[in-house]
Amino acid sequence: MNSILTLAAKDLRLLVRDTRSAIILLLMPLSFVVVLGLAAGESFGQKTDDRLRLSVVVEDDGRIDGPPSAFPGVPWSEVFLRDLSGSADIRIEAIPDRATAERLIRDSKRSAVLIFEKDFSRRVHSCSFLSVAEPPDPEPLNPLYRDGIDIDRLGITLLRDPTQQVAASIIEQVAQVTMLRVVIPWMIGRAFERVGDEKFMDQMSKDFPLMGLLPGRVKKDLGPLVQQTIGKLFSRYNFTAKSWAGLTRAETRTGDSVAVSTFESEPSGGLIPRGAKRWQVLVPSLTVMFMFFLVLTCGWLFVAERRQGTLVRLRAAPLSRTAILLGKLIPCLLVSMFQGMFLMVAGYLIFGMSWGTEAWAIPLVVASVSFAAMGLALLIAGLARTETQVAIYGTLLVLLLAGVSGSLMPRDLMPESMKRVSYITPHAWGLDAFNQLLTNPAPNLAIVGTACAALLGFGMVFLVLAWLLTRLE
Amino acid sequence: MKPLALEVRQLRKSWGRSLALDSATFSVESGEVFGLLGPNGAGKTTLLSILSCLTSADAGEVLIEGEPLRRDDPAHKRLIGIGTQDLAIYSDLTPVENLRFFGRLYGLRGDDLDSRVEAMLELTELKDRARQRAGTFSGGQKRRLNLGVAMVHRPKILFLDEPTSGVDPQSRNHIFERVRRLAEEGTTIVYTSHYMEEVQTLCERIAILDRGRVVACDTLAGLLSLLDGAVTFSVDGDAMGLADALRSMPGLRVDAVDGSRVALAGADVSRMLMQVLDLLRSRRQNLTDLKLTEPNLERVFLHLTERTLRD
Repeated sequence: MNSILTLAAKDLRLLVRDTRSAIILLLMPLSFVVVLGLAAGESFGQKTDDRLRLSVVVEDDGRIDGPPSAFPGVPWSEVFLRDLSGSADIRIEAIPDRATAERLIRDSKRSAVLIFEKDFSRRVHSCSFLSVAEPPDPEPLNPLYRDGIDIDRLGITLLRDPTQQVAASIIEQVAQVTMLRVVIPWMIGRAFERVGDEKFMDQMSKDFPLMGLLPGRVKKDLGPLVQQTIGKLFSRYNFTAKSWAGLTRAETRTGDSVAVSTFESEPSGGLIPRGAKRWQVLVPSLTVMFMFFLVLTCGWLFVAERRQGTLVRLRAAPLSRTAILLGKLIPCLLVSMFQGMFLMVAGYLIFGMSWGTEAWAIPLVVASVSFAAMGLALLIAGLARTETQVAIYGTLLVLLLAGVSGSLMPRDLMPESMKRVSYITPHAWGLDAFNQLLTNPAPNLAIVGTACAALLGFGMVFLVLAWLLTRLE
Repeated sequence: MKPLALEVRQLRKSWGRSLALDSATFSVESGEVFGLLGPNGAGKTTLLSILSCLTSADAGEVLIEGEPLRRDDPAHKRLIGIGTQDLAIYSDLTPVENLRFFGRLYGLRGDDLDSRVEAMLELTELKDRARQRAGTFSGGQKRRLNLGVAMVHRPKILFLDEPTSGVDPQSRNHIFERVRRLAEEGTTIVYTSHYMEEVQTLCERIAILDRGRVVACDTLAGLLSLLDGAVTFSVDGDAMGLADALRSMPGLRVDAVDGSRVALAGADVSRMLMQVLDLLRSRRQNLTDLKLTEPNLERVFLHLTERTLRD
């Protein structure tokens, strides 16, 4: 045992003095994380969501002019958002205030934001086909124009990012269509209520003098009759419903509440002030990938032992083959674990990455990945005879495995079939475990445990192969 | 007679179809400096690999202090030190770190380890560079450290394979001194070299290895006695009569007479020369040319192997 520790201490000392390895194992992954983190788009690292995000600021105070109204019973902005959130392909994000919205647009983090102005409800409520005001109702507002609904006139301000015009236009179109669905039934409903009412009949009497001959009781009954007749004639529609669902007699959408996600500024507590979610993906991905670069370090250590002739001395010394291999294994494992934890701590301190709710499990995952990486490193080190062979075998293998496993991209973006294939690499298991711990608010520890077991299995297989194939002669 | 530190009996080893060692047999006494000579490919490296427990023999036996050498026996490995032909030190470690590391591998601990490291630093004269990385050293300094590392654990038998290869004369002399001192202290040394003069200077007995076989093993005098010396000279006047007179003298042989030139052979060159001079004086003849050829290891080697040492 003393001999193994002596060997391990010597190799650890050599590794610490090896600036080339320090650069590969510590500085390169950090540099990659920084570069990729800064280069990645806003949605990087977030779960894939094909729905269109529609960001809104609601300043609408919900007040209306004129007599109290039973409809809609809530601010008109909420009616709008309910309609919008019912669309399967749209998700609504509520931004707390106009200043935040303007900053997000300025920083190109949102292509467009809808702002419901303070008097939005008042304006929508006053929408009418009438051309003149009929007290106590307020002055009628005509929101329609040739291209549809004039959202400006309704008190909706659209903030647009000039660099993302297409996305902004799509959002504007969505807002227009939604407003049509909200305003048109309201206007039709209000108009249809007027059919047959006293003023309507008075107007008819003026235009059709014979109406004046009818007794007042008949005229009173005739009004609703006209309304009912029109209703029967166009029975597919309910002209008094005032909502799109009611008007079209369509089924009301399930869930009458507004599904709005709250905007999170994704603050990064680290030194690089970018959204923290990207680091949750980038740091573990590159940590796993670069932990396997231990193959190079360990390989070079072995080759150097041959090249310097010291392997002959070790073989001539009172050491068993097991002791020599274990003496190599221990420092590589320690260096790998240090590297893994170093990158996790750097992720926390520099990038503001969160360690999640089960941070205690992170060292376990790091140790498991290290074990697998060390096994592979020992296998390659045992097979390669020269530094060039180590560099070629090691780099090719590490990059290939990283590519297959999804270390070079968010695994969520991989097709399912490729994801299944990726489990032939130890990296994929490590990434799964880190994904659970770092991105899942309630990590599934069973998945983490399975991944750790798989990693240990990989490590054992690699070690057995290394034991069988390594030639010390 | 001193006890035997090393006995090699009928050692045989093949690498594929190539026979590297063919019934090699010799023995080395305790505290002896034993020379191993042979051209490239003679089987020296294979022999040293077997003796250093790096590889196993196909047949034959090696005894260390009377006991059969077991390759995996740590106790046997502790008896052996190897000064490899190629350097075998960690260039990123200092001499102290190299010596401490190998000392610990051989079981040295505490004060014993400290004192051995100190002793080796003195022996190799690297005390003033003890804390500098070996990679920055000159070739000679690295060689000395290589030797120190081989001896740090007090081996009973030290195998030195071309220990002076590529070093300056100063370092070479330093190594010679250390080898002699080690032998005086009781360490048995098996020394291989391409340099005849080194082996002649250092070694009490010498084995000559050729094509895997030990073709001769004796003291230097014993090996030299295998060849005669030669005295070749020219005289004014009659050489034939002179040659006839020489033929009757003991301890020499007339090999050739050609005009005024005579070639003599014999074990003792000085004695032959005196005999020739006495005869010339008595016959009133004068020497016009003289060449003396002493038997040496190089000629013995050439004679035995029909190859030069650097073939």
